[in-house]
Amino acid sequence: MYTQAIDTDPTSRNSPTSHASVAEDVFLARIAQDEKIEPQDWMPEAYRKTLVRQISQHAHSEVVGMLPEGGWITRAPSLRRKEILLAKVQDEGGHGLYLYSAAETLGVSREQLIDALHSGKAKYSSIFNYETKTWADIGTIGWLVDGAAIMNQVPLCRCSYGPYARAMIRICKEESFHQRQGFDIVRALCEGTPEQKAMAQESLNRWWWPTLMMFGPHDSDSTHTGQASAYGIKRISNDDLRQKFVDVTVAQAEFLGLSIPDPALRWNAERGHYDFGKIDWDEFWRVVNGQGPCNEARMHDRISAFEEGRWVRDAASAHAAKRAARAVARAGALEAA
Amino acid sequence: MSALPSQSLLLIADTCLVWGHRLSEWCGHGPQLEEDIALTNTALDVIGQARSLYQLYALRAGNGLTEDKLAYFRGADAFQNVAIAAVENGDYAQTVLRSLILSAWFVPLWRELAIGRDPELAAIAVEAEKAARVQRRHASDWTIRFGDGTAESRRRIEHAISTLAPWVPALLAAEIDGTDRARRENEWRSFIAEVMAEATLDAFPVGSSSDHAFEANAKQALSALLHEMQSLAREHPEAVW
Amino acid sequence: MSDSSSKSLAPTDWPLFEVFIRSKQGLDHKHVGSLHASDAEHAIALARDVYTRRQEGVSIWVVPSKAITASNPALKNENFDPMASKIYRHPTFYDIPEEIGHM
Ligand SMILES: [Fe+2]
Ligand SMILES: [Fe+2]
Repeated sequence: MYTQAIDTDPTSRNSPTSHASVAEDVFLARIAQDEKIEPQDWMPEAYRKTLVRQISQHAHSEVVGMLPEGGWITRAPSLRRKEILLAKVQDEGGHGLYLYSAAETLGVSREQLIDALHSGKAKYSSIFNYETKTWADIGTIGWLVDGAAIMNQVPLCRCSYGPYARAMIRICKEESFHQRQGFDIVRALCEGTPEQKAMAQESLNRWWWPTLMMFGPHDSDSTHTGQASAYGIKRISNDDLRQKFVDVTVAQAEFLGLSIPDPALRWNAERGHYDFGKIDWDEFWRVVNGQGPCNEARMHDRISAFEEGRWVRDAASAHAAKRAARAVARAGALEAA
Repeated sequence: MSALPSQSLLLIADTCLVWGHRLSEWCGHGPQLEEDIALTNTALDVIGQARSLYQLYALRAGNGLTEDKLAYFRGADAFQNVAIAAVENGDYAQTVLRSLILSAWFVPLWRELAIGRDPELAAIAVEAEKAARVQRRHASDWTIRFGDGTAESRRRIEHAISTLAPWVPALLAAEIDGTDRARRENEWRSFIAEVMAEATLDAFPVGSSSDHAFEANAKQALSALLHEMQSLAREHPEAVW
Repeated sequence: MSDSSSKSLAPTDWPLFEVFIRSKQGLDHKHVGSLHASDAEHAIALARDVYTRRQEGVSIWVVPSKAITASNPALKNENFDPMASKIYRHPTFYDIPEEIGHM
């Protein structure tokens, strides 16, 4: 679900035009004309690197993102909710897969990408390092986190790299179900018993600020935004997306009768937008850099699933090799006969 | 219309739910992303079947019974599932072997119910049989890969067979009204025999009757499973979700 | 069996397959994405689970990604631009008198 503009790779900070060549000029002109770049087309190394970083970070986020919600599948309070949640979490796995496939068109293997995640070299969205303490968190994640993700992702459907744009189109089609089911959970809580309503409010209190952080650092502090937009990879800035998210979400919270935990939140008629309070960027960087509440648990789960799955993958490979060898032998025997 | 007696209906529904719960535990932890998605499809199928059956049961029982009351507010003693459905997942070999054992039992059961005398149940069974066939293919493919894969996978599938075999007699002995138990057992045995042969494994060791110690284990596993599944719903008995 | 001792020889990554789906009877198969599987049959089974969760298809093709040969993108202009001038191939090139009506 979740792209997050985190700048983690210092090598790509130079602007794309700094070592211009004819090929690069042609390339940038194509992007300026909204032409799509396909895997076999010539591309500057910095473009390829930026894409690999962003797409794989996005893929990792989808897959790690299965964990916080996945933990509630077995405890979902009704069979209907259980079924929906299971399908939702499964979809996120699908999103991870579409995105890994898109990244693989750039000449990196799935193994390399996963290895970078497990070794801590690659990042994923900081939001998944928070704990899902209550059932209400499952609603809040769908409503806010998937909601924020959609806002980030819709512009990516038009990004310059063909395989990424196509993966995003498929993903965006599936995401709106995610946000709606989350809103539906929260709504049921808000229309339910006082305990349920309190559960919804408490959950919103915990998730509001981390959700705003999902859009990434302020444009003024973001090293990649300029380059990524020159490359047609990022179309709308972090702050603009964040503002858009706040603007639409306030009305939804009002409808639900929930209050957003920000005393500074108020309508600014002059700007035509909501003003909101200061984001705690120290917390953001702490969580991105590994000190969130669940970073360790998430990585532990991913690594152990991968390591414990190794014998399974190896068995399938070995069996496929045996079958292929037998088919060759059979064909040989036929020919000899 | 000749409705299936409620006892049989519950046996099937509870088996689907409990087994679906076990399968759903894998979601997000599968051995490969593609496979994670595939296994979750099987979980969705059987949980969906459980829901349809509970709804049918509740409708027939009347007096305000619902699918969720059946799933969340009955204790382990009231659950009628075949014991093997509740056994813990173990490793991937044990998980797919249980799926093989159960889906090979479900395919002939659904097929018979689909043409049976209970039309409402038949409507559910027609769709369920298709899903069970996919699941049986998925499970037999993996059993074959494990048996005829690496030394480690072979060791693991053999271990899974010896772990799960003791629960099979009770499964095969389960009577479902209006269906032919002996024929179901025959079909199960011949299907499993084929898979074992293709997997280059020894014949599946079906004992004569299940051990009481195993029954107790299974009840314990079921209690733990229900404790987790029902915890939130029972904390808020009045709540609508 | 000595497979487990020769683990390093076994490919750890399953090969990549391209997936094509026929969304409706009567339509072409269309490329939808790719996935990893241990062999082609496995790829078909997985493609059903990965790419048709919302009934997106009625038929699946898979092709090992390695087996695809693609045209050279550097030759795109010389390959395809010459077709642009052959406007007489298109029906709109011709004027049909109004009295004739549809043709
Ligand atoms: Fe999502
Ligand atoms: Fe997603």
